[in-house]
Amino acid sequence: MKVEYINPFYKATLDVFRIMLNLDVQRGQLRAVEELAPVSEANVVIGVTGDLRGSLLYSFPKEMALEMVTTMAGMPMSKLDAFVCSALGEVANIISGNAVTMLASSSLACQISPPQVFIGTQGSLSMATEKAIVVPLITPIGTFEVSVSLSSPQG
Amino acid sequence: MWKEHYRIGSELIDSQHHELFDRVASFIRAVQEEGAWEERLDQVQATLEFMKEYVVIHFNDEEALQREIGYPGLEKHAAVHAAFREEIRQFAQRVEEEGFDEEKVQEFAARVMTWLIMHVGREDQRIGEFIRSQGGQQ
Repeated sequence: MKVEYINPFYKATLDVFRIMLNLDVQRGQLRAVEELAPVSEANVVIGVTGDLRGSLLYSFPKEMALEMVTTMAGMPMSKLDAFVCSALGEVANIISGNAVTMLASSSLACQISPPQVFIGTQGSLSMATEKAIVVPLITPIGTFEVSVSLSSPQG
Repeated sequence: MWKEHYRIGSELIDSQHHELFDRVASFIRAVQEEGAWEERLDQVQATLEFMKEYVVIHFNDEEALQREIGYPGLEKHAAVHAAFREEIRQFAQRVEEEGFDEEKVQEFAARVMTWLIMHVGREDQRIGEFIRSQGGQQ
């Protein structure tokens, strides 16, 4: 798992949060973990295939997730229902898609799978031997984390 | 939902965008309101019907503007429009066959909302930049 794979995800988040939410994003301290595990209530998993393979996990605190969708919809959201979860899945999908496009400019052609949203902090996602790098992303409405576990099949 | 900074400098397109954002907002309201789903269905159905027709009109008008001003990204932009038009058509067909399931409609509303914000907030702004670079308003 190379740290170079991380930057596109930060840049894409910066861009998408500015356009969709008019919010600035700062990057917190990176850390390596053994497995992808949700730290917050609202989670989105996206698979990656192609020149890089692995998984991405976006983990949003509940209050932040509700605030994000409130801002986008222009009306208050109070629960993590199908609408809110789907909107979060889309945001993660857009960020991942943009990040993958940036990776393509480094000659890494990847595809992403549709977002899977799940609620709760139980359990972890089984992975191959690769470690994951967790990127905390700090915004004025809260901090969420993106865990990136990608590896090149060519090594 | 609509923001003044979404304006691209074409009166027709800006007013259509404004209308689209307002309609999507009322769609979300209908989808998210408390109360029996059956009672909100009329509004949901009406908005979906409107959207289906209005995106066709709006995308056509916006592509006509792009042709008129010689916008270099026309082809790519039109392909994005076509893909989204198809997505709406498929959803409309699906509810026709399977009925309006609340959760499916909620998911679709979220998809339309995020698509509209990203598309108008990013891709369409490039048309605005092009108009300004050509010396102003349409």
